[in-house]
Amino acid sequence: MSGICRTRLAEERKQWRKDHPFGFYAKPAKASDGSMNLMEWEVGIPGKPKTAWEGGLYKLVMIFPEDYPSKPPKCKFTPPLFHPNVYPSGTVCLSILDEEKSWKPAITIKQILLGIQDLLDNPNVNDPAQSDAYTMFKNDKVAYERRVKQQARDNIPK
Amino acid sequence: MGSDYDLSDDGEYYDEEMFDGTQDDDSEDDIEMENFGDDFKIPSKGKKKSYEVDYESLSQQDVESLMQKDVDYICGIFGVDVDTASLLLRHMKWNKEKLTEQYMDNLTAVMVAAGASASEETTPSSPIRTHSASSPTGTTTRRPSTRAASKLFGSKPAKPTPSRPIQRQPSKKPDEPFVCQICFNDAPDMQTLALDCEHTFCTECWTDYVVSKIRDESEHSIRCMAENCALVCPDSFLRGLLVPEPGAPVGDKEKEEQNLKAWSRLQELFVRYFVACNANLKFCPYPSCTNTVSCPSAASKSSLTTIVPTVSCGARGIGGESQEMSQSQQLGLSIKGKEHKFCFGCPIEGDHRPVICNVAKMWLKKCRDDSETANWIKSNTKECTNCQSTIEKNGGCNHMTCKKCKHEFCWVCMGPWSEHGTAWYSCNRYDEKTGVEARDAQSRSRASLERYLHYYNRWANHEQSAKLSLDLYAKTEKKMEEMQITSDLTWIEVQFMKKAVEEVDKCRMTLKWTYAMAYYLAKGNEKDLFEDNQRDLEKAVEDLSELLESPIEADNIPTLRQQVTNKTVYVQKRNEIVLEDTANGFMEGRWRWNVAVDGFDAPDEVVL
Repeated sequence: MSGICRTRLAEERKQWRKDHPFGFYAKPAKASDGSMNLMEWEVGIPGKPKTAWEGGLYKLVMIFPEDYPSKPPKCKFTPPLFHPNVYPSGTVCLSILDEEKSWKPAITIKQILLGIQDLLDNPNVNDPAQSDAYTMFKNDKVAYERRVKQQARDNIPK
Repeated sequence: MGSDYDLSDDGEYYDEEMFDGTQDDDSEDDIEMENFGDDFKIPSKGKKKSYEVDYESLSQQDVESLMQKDVDYICGIFGVDVDTASLLLRHMKWNKEKLTEQYMDNLTAVMVAAGASASEETTPSSPIRTHSASSPTGTTTRRPSTRAASKLFGSKPAKPTPSRPIQRQPSKKPDEPFVCQICFNDAPDMQTLALDCEHTFCTECWTDYVVSKIRDESEHSIRCMAENCALVCPDSFLRGLLVPEPGAPVGDKEKEEQNLKAWSRLQELFVRYFVACNANLKFCPYPSCTNTVSCPSAASKSSLTTIVPTVSCGARGIGGESQEMSQSQQLGLSIKGKEHKFCFGCPIEGDHRPVICNVAKMWLKKCRDDSETANWIKSNTKECTNCQSTIEKNGGCNHMTCKKCKHEFCWVCMGPWSEHGTAWYSCNRYDEKTGVEARDAQSRSRASLERYLHYYNRWANHEQSAKLSLDLYAKTEKKMEEMQITSDLTWIEVQFMKKAVEEVDKCRMTLKWTYAMAYYLAKGNEKDLFEDNQRDLEKAVEDLSELLESPIEADNIPTLRQQVTNKTVYVQKRNEIVLEDTANGFMEGRWRWNVAVDGFDAPDEVVL
């Protein structure tokens, strides 16, 4: 599969450069010797306008397994994000990123990133991944909103 | 529970409630004759003993024929093809009645939910629904897709043989170069495939995806690769992907092998799923065994209060790879591990006759939880004579003060400390009245612990002996060789030793579980009789064991042979008596327990 993996990622890269949603960025990571590592991408996801997440650009790494696209990439916020569906490690918990749930090989990087952006303001309370954000979201919406806005300010791109 | 997997030679013993036999009874017999003829041996038993259950062991092919029968039935009444019928049945957990009902009710919804026809929401450009897209199967549409419609209303007769996939044509437009959206390959001679949703991808991507789903996730319901598309790949489609067509050019050898492996794994997954959906069937729990046992009489929970469904899948030894084994282990395998015996009613390995599943389970749990602790408590602690807290004395003098109730007493005589005056380090007041009373109370509370340990120790002892029987077998084997040399007995004539060892092993199993049973039996006549039988068997087994261990001298071989053979027959008989009587007792509802057991009346009074 590794053959497919790299061709697919190269094509994803091409497609992304041709056209990508406003405010996002996504590029393969640079190894220490300056060469490009297609298997790991650095990504920025902007918060949707008119939500508490507006203004922030949230950094994420996508790590592609050798059997991508049969298997989904692992998406990890760096640093970990305050959000009910983000694990303390930063890993995103999302059904389209789960091979046993809704992952399909045809899902593109663009779709993943839009999906994660959508998740920011629409957390899934049935599938909590961290207790801090989950309990606050459940019990004190005002405090939650305040915390999210603070996080957005902390993540304003320089 | 529609259970018509009636594979027996005589159907007389079927549980009434399990067998509703409303449909396709008539077609059953010929199918059986066709499919089960050669490789399916009906155990030739004499009269069934009361402690045995009727069961049938089925190979993977046998179960596949059962599945095929259901599929054909659905094909017949709905007029759909084999692929669609299989998808529908799997979606409905092989419940034909429920499927028929829902199909009549809303066929489009069932077809979509089963992934047999596309819902209209599933288009490649549908907006992404992310976190809440847990299961797209619940969606319904008002318009069936073209393929589903043609299948539903056309009266195409269903063929039982799986056809080659009809989807196996490139569905690309000739003028426009096709680019697979998975691998972005755009070679003009590329093979492409699509399900009825027409989400087209190249054959290579399909294969990789399907293989990884089967191999890594053990998934048998494989959906289309397009995002949000809930269509499930039908069997013929998967077959076309994984099994090379006869006469096709040989491609990558390694890949082809991997695909074939995935295909056979898929067949096993289908069978396992079918078995899991059917209460009459159970998959053999032995590693890498693919056989199934059908035991309709033990399918309901209530039946497990009257029978112990010990079954055997028919296979022998440990299948597949041969592991490194010592010689005695190998020898042991040929005697001990030869049959895949297991209980149909519970996950306990091996044979737990004569005791029923619930009681056996209770006993094992108690042993796991209590045995070591109980032993330790018994040997290391005493109880406070006032509040009965368990106390371990780990130093200091004999003047004890209970941490809990502050009662002061003497560790030696258990009497209250107040009577000891100033004699701090020695107790010479053993006969004092209060001290005697305190010890009495103590011994009463220890009695239940003792009682448990009495049964546990005997239970464990037989288990241990059964384990040692591997060595005993090796030893016996040697003795048998010796005998052939020192006497003029032939190989077949020394087999009595082997038979004796097997019998001892079997009886120890029975004995082991009789102790679990006796522990929970309520006091009374019935229990006394039970324990009499147990004692007789135990004595006979120990006698025979001793004989087997005795040294062999050339001149005593004929007498030894005589004795061993006699004893073996006797032991066999005693074992049968225990098993038979216990089994009859369950049928007659004769046994009373001293604890509450599921499916039985609560005990009248607790007399231990």
